Amino acid sequence: MKSLKLLILLTLIAAIAAGAVIYSGVVNVAADEPHSALTYWLLEQTRENSIQQASKNIEVPDLEDPELLLSGGVDYNFMCSSCHLKPGQTESDMSVGLYPAPPNLTIAAQSHEGHEHGDETQSDRKNFWVIKHGIKASGMPAWGKTHDDERIWAMVAFIKRLPTLTPEQYQVLTAVE
Amino acid sequence: MKTNFIKTVGKIALILVPAITLSMNASAHDPKMHAKKAEKADCSKMDHSKMDMKDPVAIAMMKKCMNQSKASTDDMDHSKMNDMDQSKMKDMDHSKMKKTGDKKVNKDNHENH
Repeated sequence: MKSLKLLILLTLIAAIAAGAVIYSGVVNVAADEPHSALTYWLLEQTRENSIQQASKNIEVPDLEDPELLLSGGVDYNFMCSSCHLKPGQTESDMSVGLYPAPPNLTIAAQSHEGHEHGDETQSDRKNFWVIKHGIKASGMPAWGKTHDDERIWAMVAFIKRLPTLTPEQYQVLTAVE
Repeated sequence: MKTNFIKTVGKIALILVPAITLSMNASAHDPKMHAKKAEKADCSKMDHSKMDMKDPVAIAMMKKCMNQSKASTDDMDHSKMNDMDQSKMKDMDHSKMKKTGDKKVNKDNHENH
């Protein structure tokens, strides 16, 4: 009985503390003020594990068809490049201003610091899932609401080759016919 | 009354002048970065000799450039050329025209096609 009273008291204190934090406005939500290391780690782990879990059963089609690069390239240029950059570019207004910073997709996944990317198939699955569903409160939209799976796989195929492309190759592949 | 009005105008100006100055600074970076226009493929820089024709990227680039080249040829409306009034061309001053021999012809190393 005594321990139950203590548990109720602790729960009440925790609820009051949480309410105080939420309603006092003490949490800084500005994108130019980074999270603490602990908050960043918590959010990143939650995000990465969630994407891995949700995408683990996605079947990856053949991504070697050159037609996919042509379709995916045009879409990438219009929809993704302002945040995820193009070959020869190191930053943009969006890549600098967004927080968390969008990954630079012109460099290979293995070169990104922080979390693991898994093998190639796992990386394709994750890219497809993220493009289709987006990520809450990160600036990444859910393109699946307006684009079918075929177009999203084309973007995945293009992103896969993106780190190997020169600015000239990128220009030709992404140009509008 | 008049003094109050001048004071109010002064206060408004004190707020408006820095606000306008700051908002103008916000657009000071290069606006070209925001311009998104449809670009045609620049196929002139393609070096065929260095291309691996089994590579999907090379195949895709070839396709894009071939389609673009075909599209630009198709854009010419040959049907309307039959209506050209060639009798009006007798006054053409050929001396002012560039000789076709002066044109530089780009050649590549392909001999098979």
